[in-house]
Amino acid sequence: MTEPVIRVTHLSKRFAGAGDTVTVLSELSFSLPDGGSLALTGRSGSGKSTLLNLLCGLETPDQGEVQAFGETFPAAGGRSPKAASERWARLRRRDIGVVFQDANLMPALSLGDNVRFRARLAGQTQASSAHWLAQLGIGELADRYPDQVSGGQRQRAALAMVFAMKPGLILADEPTGSLDHHTADAVADSLFSLQQSTGCGLILATHDPALAARCQYRLDLGHDQPVLTASSAAPSPS
Amino acid sequence: MTLFVALFSHYRRHPLQLLALALMIVLATTLWTGVSNLTERARASLAQSERAVAGQQQLVRVDGQAVSVRDFAVLRRQGLCVMPWLEVRRPAPAGRVIGVDPFAGGCFGDQVPGQAGGDALIGEPFLDIGDAAALVDQDNPGTLSLLVPVTVLPAELPPGYELKDFSLGPATGELGESFLLNLDALGVLVLLITALLVRSVYQMGRVQRRESFALLARFGVPPGRVQRLLLMEMVVLAALCVLPGIWLGRWLAAVLGGGFGQALEGLFDTPLYAVEGGGFALPAVVMVTMVLVACFTDQRLWAKLPGVSAAGPSLWLAMLFLGVVMVGVTPGLTWLFTGIALVFVAVGVLTPRLLSASAQWWSDRAGGLVLWQRRELAVLFRRLALPVVALQFAVAMVLAVQALVTTFEDTFEAWLAQRLEAEFYVEVPDAARAADGVRYLASRTELGDWHLVQRGTARLSAAAGSGAPVEVDLFAIAPIGPLVTGWTLQTSVADAWSKLAAGEGVMVNEQLARREGLKPGDSLGLTVGGQAREFAILGVYADYGRPAGEILAAGQRLPQAFRPQFESLSMNPGDVTMTEIEQGLTEVWNAGKLTVRDNRSIQALASGVFDQTFLLTRAITVLTLVLAGTSLLMMGWVFFSSRAWYYRLLSV
Amino acid sequence: MMGFPGSLRRAALVLCLALSACSESPPSSGFAGLDEQADAGEFAQPAPGDRLRFPEDFGPHPRHRIEWWYLTANLTTDQGEPLGLQWTQFRQALVARDADAPAPAANRWPMEAGWMAHAAVSFREQHGFAEKLARGDIGQAGATAEPFNVWLDDWHLQALEEGQWRLQVNGEGWSYDLRLTVQREPVAHGDHGFSAKSASGEGSMYFSLVNLAIAGEVTLNGEVHRVSGLGWFDREWSSQFLKAGQQGWDWFALHLDGGYKLMAFRLREDEGAFVSGSWINANGDVESLGAGDLLLEPAGWQTSQHGRVPAQWRLRIPPHEVDLLIEAPAGDYWNNGLFPYWESPVSVTGSHGGVGYMELTGYGG
Repeated sequence: MTEPVIRVTHLSKRFAGAGDTVTVLSELSFSLPDGGSLALTGRSGSGKSTLLNLLCGLETPDQGEVQAFGETFPAAGGRSPKAASERWARLRRRDIGVVFQDANLMPALSLGDNVRFRARLAGQTQASSAHWLAQLGIGELADRYPDQVSGGQRQRAALAMVFAMKPGLILADEPTGSLDHHTADAVADSLFSLQQSTGCGLILATHDPALAARCQYRLDLGHDQPVLTASSAAPSPS
Repeated sequence: MTLFVALFSHYRRHPLQLLALALMIVLATTLWTGVSNLTERARASLAQSERAVAGQQQLVRVDGQAVSVRDFAVLRRQGLCVMPWLEVRRPAPAGRVIGVDPFAGGCFGDQVPGQAGGDALIGEPFLDIGDAAALVDQDNPGTLSLLVPVTVLPAELPPGYELKDFSLGPATGELGESFLLNLDALGVLVLLITALLVRSVYQMGRVQRRESFALLARFGVPPGRVQRLLLMEMVVLAALCVLPGIWLGRWLAAVLGGGFGQALEGLFDTPLYAVEGGGFALPAVVMVTMVLVACFTDQRLWAKLPGVSAAGPSLWLAMLFLGVVMVGVTPGLTWLFTGIALVFVAVGVLTPRLLSASAQWWSDRAGGLVLWQRRELAVLFRRLALPVVALQFAVAMVLAVQALVTTFEDTFEAWLAQRLEAEFYVEVPDAARAADGVRYLASRTELGDWHLVQRGTARLSAAAGSGAPVEVDLFAIAPIGPLVTGWTLQTSVADAWSKLAAGEGVMVNEQLARREGLKPGDSLGLTVGGQAREFAILGVYADYGRPAGEILAAGQRLPQAFRPQFESLSMNPGDVTMTEIEQGLTEVWNAGKLTVRDNRSIQALASGVFDQTFLLTRAITVLTLVLAGTSLLMMGWVFFSSRAWYYRLLSV
Repeated sequence: MMGFPGSLRRAALVLCLALSACSESPPSSGFAGLDEQADAGEFAQPAPGDRLRFPEDFGPHPRHRIEWWYLTANLTTDQGEPLGLQWTQFRQALVARDADAPAPAANRWPMEAGWMAHAAVSFREQHGFAEKLARGDIGQAGATAEPFNVWLDDWHLQALEEGQWRLQVNGEGWSYDLRLTVQREPVAHGDHGFSAKSASGEGSMYFSLVNLAIAGEVTLNGEVHRVSGLGWFDREWSSQFLKAGQQGWDWFALHLDGGYKLMAFRLREDEGAFVSGSWINANGDVESLGAGDLLLEPAGWQTSQHGRVPAQWRLRIPPHEVDLLIEAPAGDYWNNGLFPYWESPVSVTGSHGGVGYMELTGYGG
């Protein structure tokens, strides 16, 4: 087995709620091998999005640590949080592509420019936006602006941006959540085929069992003690 | 596709926003540069006018007679360094000129009066004394002074002469100071208002770009870097817009400088000198700084200041209160302006909160759709806080400028009315005897009010503690009648006018009273026509800022030795035509053409000139108001269009 | 003296232009404006046949544009050191006026004529100079023939009694107060006083008192020196001296052994020069010298603050077997007024010994 691209150890995250604190994640540990794909499942509020944010440094855990690309990021209260956030920022710029449910594009840039811009931020100055947009089936929309295309086309463009940066890991939060069934399937097809051909890791949060089933691993955050399971070998109890 | 280009592409998609911002900066720069350029010139002019005569001394005759060219020649031939200085006062718009003799200035070395840098006594208002003397006639009186270097000591003087401070230039005092302070305040206000407007437009764009900034943070771009690029973007934009703004501002100042100069001259006897515009550097730095501060000051900064957040509205209320108290009780102009500034800031901060709070309060008393509507209104008020404050300031500025202009105009007109009380004014020709004219007028019973004015000089006997005797203008009037008893007296003894007519004393003008600390009832030592006498002070009359000391006396009661320099008859013709009076006077004086002035037309002319003068300030206030209004409309439009989908949703 | 009147006009013009008060006359092109054309019907121009009249000609000539009263003195202190003095007063008219016409009213500060006075002292290689300016007709400066008086401010040359004059001048750090005794009748130069200044006839009226006895006090930096010696006084007036193309002049007034006096000048033209002079013997007999019998040329040049000047000259008058070397003493003798020129005492060696004064204009920057 290859070196894990991400490893999570005893991770806990709490939020201040009305009057008391709500524990969203508690003592979570798992790791994802390089090139592997993982689906995060569970009901709303089970902490899928929070975990994704913790995995790319947009939020800081209260306990435990995250190791990504060989670097270790401690929980809040650790030494030099500023340096840690700068290391996370560098990883997000170059190695971790993040796709959210919506609003992944710079509204003032055309789709082509969005892809070029994201690739350039990742240091991929030679990246061809036309190639990646074509790969995702929207090659003819390069000159359109985000508000001039459909939601599905926007998500494809967001995926094109992420693939153009040649990341080691893609984090996707409900990438097809706001799309109709047909479009969602098409986007998911593109996502998985490109993930396999580029060999990058993929962690996606989803409600969609079909989508989750296409990942190698699965982590159901609805359980009290979530455990990483292999999707094909042991289908989820639900 | 660099980060900078990606950021700036916002404006590529919203070019109108960029245009609005650019326009705002250009206009702000134009206005501020225009105002500050004129203020600078006004300040330089007033300063130069004071400096021109500051620290100079002059020679006067001990016998009280005016000095003449003979005195000049006599003194020069005795080896004394003396320079003639012939001031010719001409009615506006021609203005005051000063005749100097360039041949005579050599012995002053580098202490030549009026010298500013290398441009000693060259160009307006300086003329060759021969040309200045050619302008002197009855309408344009000239006053000759003989200046001596400050190094000359009393012991070196030939007999018959004495030294005296030279201050022919107007001591503009508080009036000039308030004029400049008003202009300064105008400049600050323009800066403040335009800063608020620039900020509101910029913040509008900033809100639209918030999504992009969040995205960039997710992309791993450090927020500091984004901030730096935004700063750079505004520096470039400001630099590009400030230059044409400065150019326009100077153009504005140049176009309106003429009328402005006339105001300055009309009010303070000071011509507006052409001074170098001070370069591009200062306005550029000020405006770029203003733009950056306006755009990048974090609103939360206020809240972070210790005490401010805790104090909340009470701090601003306290500031408001302090400002009001200062305005009410302060004696000095600077404090007055500070007080007004405090009121402005406090009201400016409180207004949007008040509006928002009242909308909230109002909405709490409703339900359903009305609740929502009122909540929306509260949000709208919060969003529009900045342009609302700017508009509020702009309105305040319009009022303030209006008040300023009105004050000056009233002062000016009251002064004119005082000096031009009678409808007509006839000069007594050189060869004629005023008494003959007086006898003639007295014989015409159907004539309206009239009096004879004899203008000369008198010297105050050296007051205790003060060194040189003070020379003052003496106006002898006879008979004392309605033309003069209508003057505003600031303080007086009882029955002042009848006592004046009875020769029981004299009146003094406000300037003299202030300078010498005189009040009604005091006794004043005066040398008139070589005779020293004591006069009781009967009253102090308003002089509307005329800097010269004046004494008003009843003509018949003055010593015989009093030699007026100038005599004239003021009259309301009543039932007689002016042509008839003119004929009668021509006959008794056996004179040729008389100089008759129609004071009403002079007054109209003067007022016309005055109106022109405040064109600039009015233009600026109107422009600012338009700017603030436009900005408010624009913000409202953006607000509503960003919520259009919401409203559509409601209507479905 | 071939003095300096043009500079006054120039000064007046500069000032006028600066004051933008009287800009109608364009600045002249030639040196010091001396080639200013006389306006027809305005200024009078001297011509051959004009005669001198005394004492009127000691006074001003308001119909003429330019004139001067000029004194140089070669004195000796009671310590035996040589001391040179110069005093000049110029009148420069902007408007011609008949001699009997009334002057404009003084209280109008008229600018019909300007006056300029120069004074210099040369002693122990040091040269002090002062300049004063005044407008005419207001009493500050002027001249009268009877009683003789020429004044500007507190500087004046004034007749005390018959044949006795007093000259008083106060400069910066120096002053002088001298008695002058007129010992000979005036000498008329040229044709009975008409002194040609070019081959084509431009010229001036010109006479001199060549043998003044002078005694008095010169105060230098607070130190009073009793002085005595010889003086030379010039009166000259015209409306146009130079013709176009004359660049400057070299002028000499010499007291020679044997009571001889010599006045000589050379006007430098584009090509060649116009030379003229007067040879005066002890009896006061005058012989006019022209180009044929007066040879005048630089014999040595000196570097000075304004460039090279011919400080040594050779002067020959073959008919009288005169061959002189004229030399300025060591030092720099520029009169740095509105229009700088060189004015120095000189010593004479050669066929005759003597002293005198030399004025050089149109040199240097």
